[in-house]
Amino acid sequence: MALFALRVSPPRTVRYLLGAGAVALLVLVWWIVTLGAVETRLVSPVILPSPLEVFASFASLLNERALIESIAATLRRVLLGFGLAILVGVPVGIAAGAWRVFEAAAAPVALFGRNLPVAALIPLTILWFGIDETQKVMFIFIACVPFVYSDTVRAIASVPDRYVETSQTLGASRWQILTKVLVALALPDIYNSLRHLFGMAFGYIMLAELINASYGLGYLLMTSQRRGLSEHIILILMIIGLLAFAIDRALYFFQRGLFPYRPADE
Amino acid sequence: MTTLANIVEFRGVTKRFGDLTVIRDVTFTVPDLPGIGEFVTILGPSGCGKSTVLRLIAGLPPHHPTTEGVVHVANAPVAGPGADRGMVFQDYTSFDNRTVEDNVAFGLECRGVGARERRDQARAWIEKVGLDVTRDAHKYPSQLSGGMRQRVAIARTLILRPRIILMDEPFGALDPATRLHMQELLNKLWREAEATVFFVTHSIEEAVYLGDRVYVFSASPGTILREIAVPKSDRPPKEMLREKTFIDLVDDIRDTVDTLQSSTRAGD
Repeated sequence: MALFALRVSPPRTVRYLLGAGAVALLVLVWWIVTLGAVETRLVSPVILPSPLEVFASFASLLNERALIESIAATLRRVLLGFGLAILVGVPVGIAAGAWRVFEAAAAPVALFGRNLPVAALIPLTILWFGIDETQKVMFIFIACVPFVYSDTVRAIASVPDRYVETSQTLGASRWQILTKVLVALALPDIYNSLRHLFGMAFGYIMLAELINASYGLGYLLMTSQRRGLSEHIILILMIIGLLAFAIDRALYFFQRGLFPYRPADE
Repeated sequence: MTTLANIVEFRGVTKRFGDLTVIRDVTFTVPDLPGIGEFVTILGPSGCGKSTVLRLIAGLPPHHPTTEGVVHVANAPVAGPGADRGMVFQDYTSFDNRTVEDNVAFGLECRGVGARERRDQARAWIEKVGLDVTRDAHKYPSQLSGGMRQRVAIARTLILRPRIILMDEPFGALDPATRLHMQELLNKLWREAEATVFFVTHSIEEAVYLGDRVYVFSASPGTILREIAVPKSDRPPKEMLREKTFIDLVDDIRDTVDTLQSSTRAGD
């Protein structure tokens, strides 16, 4: 009964068990609907191959289709594009959060950037940056930077005024307030936002790799679909999920080490 | 020309935000008593503009500057906030990202005092406000109780030896027992600090226990209804609060406040 108390999170082990149970249930359903000989299955293997067929195809994905190179290419594009978005978005966001005149000036552009359908950026980035790696990195950059900027502004702006006032009556200069108070107190929030936004950047890679890619997880997905390799598609989707999960856990681990005074949300 | 130097002087101070008058025609002077200082408590109902008075002394916008009248500190108009007027608030008192020691040393760090000197002074003040250096110096605020956080805030302010200490209902969110402990601590520390203290509260007992003089404020727009001199408290509040003379004085002020406030209301 206590498990169903309003808004109360179940204990850690129960949480993990519930999560694992849900995954197991999904696999069970998958296994059942793809059970038996090809002709008698509830779902045709073209739509959904059986778990065994999917896992058995891992060797061909790894050896014949250069999985490792594709993972490396995708990670490289996401890291470069998102890294660039951090380099530009965070400092500009800090400035705009501290001096609201900048924020006022940037507001319409930022709003526009956040609401732009990302796919619409493809033709433009091709015109501007060609069809090689630059286009893919810049696509991720342009798609992410408005969000990185806006979250940084929000983090700086939501540091309570009390802290600024307290530091002023302790003799802090403007620069000291910016660095020792505003940025210092907003940093855990900024980091947390970046962690979530990285997940989003990873999600854009499909679009970035639509055009003229010879490696990459998105490219692998596209070619698998053309060749009718549905077991590869499912496998790649799982790999993307696992990669995103591993990266998020790593970032979460650093978050706890960097900001021991602030409990991070999972 | 006044012959006596004033540490704080309000002359006909009015503050308006649009149509809303927060304080109206506030006038008072607190003389500079070198080496002693004075403890001024500002007593009044919530939203009567008590905090506005503190923020005008501190020079904090949007209350600073005044709409009418002048605020002088040490015989010069207030231009903006500075370390000579330390302020302790009720909430968000400690920097979450800093340990107790680094919180206390914040002002010294801003002044460019060296790390070693900073540490020694901070530790001395951590002891003075009744915290334990070995146990508490490296804790983060999230690991402290509300009372301990206020101790950190007081140490962080006093370490800079400000001439004026401004306290905006600093013990308002504490439980009654902790509140009495904090009052006792403050009563002990401020004499040593040789500063003039402005302390805002809506508790009459607190105002009488801590104050040398009490300014009674009316509700909006805030203005001083009466100035009452009260005797110094030399014992812990637990004892003082039981004393007949203390109780009588508190009751007396309570009656005065009631009559004054009902008459101002009637006059509206």
